[in-house]
Amino acid sequence: MRLALLDYGAGNLHSLGKALEGAGAEVVITSDWSKALSLSALILPGVGAFGAAAAALPQDRAPIREALQGGFPCLGICLGMQLFFENSEESEGDGISLVPGSVELLDAPVVPQMGWNDVEIDDDPIFEGVGPLIGYYANSYICVPDKEADTIAWSEYDNRRFAAAVRRENTWGMQFHPEKSSAPGRRIIANFVAAVRGMS
Amino acid sequence: MLRPRVIVCLDVKDGRVVKGTQFKNLRDVGDPVELARRYEAEGADEIVYLDVSASKEKRGTLLDVVRRTAETLFIPLTVGGGVRSADDIGPLLRAGADKISVNTAAVNEPEILSIGSERFGSQCIVASIDAASEDGMWRCYTHGGSQPTNLDGIEWAAECERLGAGEILLTSIDQDGARSGYQIDLTREVADNVPIPVIASGGAGKAEHLRNAFDKGRASAALVAGILHDGLTTVGSLKRSLTAWGIPVRPIQTS
Repeated sequence: MRLALLDYGAGNLHSLGKALEGAGAEVVITSDWSKALSLSALILPGVGAFGAAAAALPQDRAPIREALQGGFPCLGICLGMQLFFENSEESEGDGISLVPGSVELLDAPVVPQMGWNDVEIDDDPIFEGVGPLIGYYANSYICVPDKEADTIAWSEYDNRRFAAAVRRENTWGMQFHPEKSSAPGRRIIANFVAAVRGMS
Repeated sequence: MLRPRVIVCLDVKDGRVVKGTQFKNLRDVGDPVELARRYEAEGADEIVYLDVSASKEKRGTLLDVVRRTAETLFIPLTVGGGVRSADDIGPLLRAGADKISVNTAAVNEPEILSIGSERFGSQCIVASIDAASEDGMWRCYTHGGSQPTNLDGIEWAAECERLGAGEILLTSIDQDGARSGYQIDLTREVADNVPIPVIASGGAGKAEHLRNAFDKGRASAALVAGILHDGLTTVGSLKRSLTAWGIPVRPIQTS
């Protein structure tokens, strides 16, 4: 089972790659979308700026959106989750528009949100066996889905509840970094790999 | 609820963790990869590698250490020391660092903060400030605390934020190594004056000092080094005390 770890050309892919490999997956780092969609799953990592990552998406977003709508497994982390939405206040460029909603600047006295924050999780296979979850965040923007049903986990920052995780079909987005959230985070990654294995 | 962080700092020289005072009399205390893992297991919220060989000797080994660390460490890793230009940032992030801290380079060439944050996001650019109380100001120093500047720590921290830094690592030169507590006035003045997280550094001797950094200093995180490496306390013990006092640090999570 080979997973595509998408390379936008900036930032740390190494620890996420190792976490996926630790869960038994073979990881292919690529910036080639058609190649990525020919493998077993797509991982959108959480590093860099929205504009730069949006520029790394193919001009025509439809093939990716249709693949994800059709159940192609995908995990988006932080910025990677934000790419599932339509657009972002951070910079120009369209997202994949898989999840209706927008990405907004965190309006708080201290931004970025930097550190460990409690995550209230719904009953979803991605969180199986994770236990009480405290996730590591490093974000200045949050996702605001139009439909509550798309959100499967919540956190609170400066008295505002926001989407910690979303799900559509076999696409999961995490605003925190599971690959940086110690043992519970590694369990989430292992659950994703197990889900992909169950589908392929 | 965002948890106040306990961050463990390791001084790394030529691929080994060293211990000493003011960059002198360095002694080898172990393998950074192994120590970082151990501190994660003890409950550390983040790890900082400060490459003390960077400015003086070759630093190719650092990338290798970062790469090997990222293979087994699943909490954030910040790497600082000897990052001279924006071109040094990419390779460290690619090797597996989550954040890069810059001190001397930011003073010499402030654009490193703006270029770094535009290219990689402000969340991975940490402005490291070493300040001492002098002549009625918080005088900033560069080159590992050896060269004075005319910058005031409060103003410089605000400028670093404007340029794109996502976090301030604030070290009191006066308190560093003294183990008598963080410089609370400095910490609080900076924390009240910048809209980004501040890490208190320099002076940790016991759990109460961290409590003061969070409560009185309004720090988002506290850096701890010597007292852990000397075996005087553990991250777990510090966190137990903080929890008992109602400071909501992250409980230690086991697999």
